[in-house]
Amino acid sequence: MIAKAKRADVLAASEDLRRRTLPYTSGSLDRLIYLASMRDYNTGIYVHEGLAARFSPEVACEALADCHRESFQELTSLQLKNLAEQLELYMRSTGTAPGDFLRSWKDLAPYRVAVPLGTDSLLAEFLFSNLKIALAILEHRHSQVLEPTPAA
Amino acid sequence: MMQLVIFLAVGTGLLVLLLVAIRRQPSHAAGSAGELVTAKRTLESLQLGLLPADLVEQVFGRQDFAYISSIGSNELTDLFMSERKRLALMWIGQIRKQVRALKDFHVSRSRMFTHMSRWREFSIALDFAGLEIRCRVLQLLMRWRGPYAAPNFARRTATTAGRLCSVLDQSLAFLTPGTPARLGSESGADGTTLIG
Repeated sequence: MIAKAKRADVLAASEDLRRRTLPYTSGSLDRLIYLASMRDYNTGIYVHEGLAARFSPEVACEALADCHRESFQELTSLQLKNLAEQLELYMRSTGTAPGDFLRSWKDLAPYRVAVPLGTDSLLAEFLFSNLKIALAILEHRHSQVLEPTPAA
Repeated sequence: MMQLVIFLAVGTGLLVLLLVAIRRQPSHAAGSAGELVTAKRTLESLQLGLLPADLVEQVFGRQDFAYISSIGSNELTDLFMSERKRLALMWIGQIRKQVRALKDFHVSRSRMFTHMSRWREFSIALDFAGLEIRCRVLQLLMRWRGPYAAPNFARRTATTAGRLCSVLDQSLAFLTPGTPARLGSESGADGTTLIG
């Protein structure tokens, strides 16, 4: 019964997060990266001081995990075209030069540590694969912008 | 002398049969419970992770391919095709592996827990065999002609696997705890409504 009552708290905390914090992210990829960054690499526990102060650390952790899973599902359901748009939006929101961003994302593949715990391996691999292609698409676009157009 | 040899041979034969019979029985109850839970997890992983129609559609649908083709870069198209081929092979490989695990479990344990008619047993055996053949054919086709070799065949394979899963799910239904209906209208001490 306690677990069920707690669940209502978690729903309220998730709603709070969706209303106050997540609207300020640039898109679903930005949301995924933001929520993954709230997770301690060593323990897998999500930490958000503001949310923990309003609810409790446990409730905040569960709410963040719920929103993280939600944003992962949102990303995996996107078509490649939309995922490439999300990646571009995220790239712009970081303020990093496109060349540097694309190089580090290709080399480090930071998205590999951004999936929620317990994600099905095939679904994770599906997102990684699509992100790899989306990066290649952005790189292709970027190289076309840099290349001087031949004079008519 | 001859009678003694025959007597010893028959005795040894019976002893061997007895040992084989003992080995075929489940060793202990805890092992069986563990296997039941593993089978339930395998089933859930298949139903939730590998067989949802939208995932199958994303891997085998042609919308992404059409988008990549519209960009007009051979390099991008090659990368896309090799990635989708890898994913499609991974998908069918995992389905095959999990269906095999379920078949082994069904043959060794599940049928002991449920009372199935011989016809039902036969039908399930046929489904397992058919699915194994389908998966193998699909793997060969994808290796040979890429991810879009037989999208409809892949969809039908997913449907067949889904159907078999729901049959097996019924035989493992006793592992899913039911929630008493009356909990739905209870309230917590702080007045919160408890969701049943």
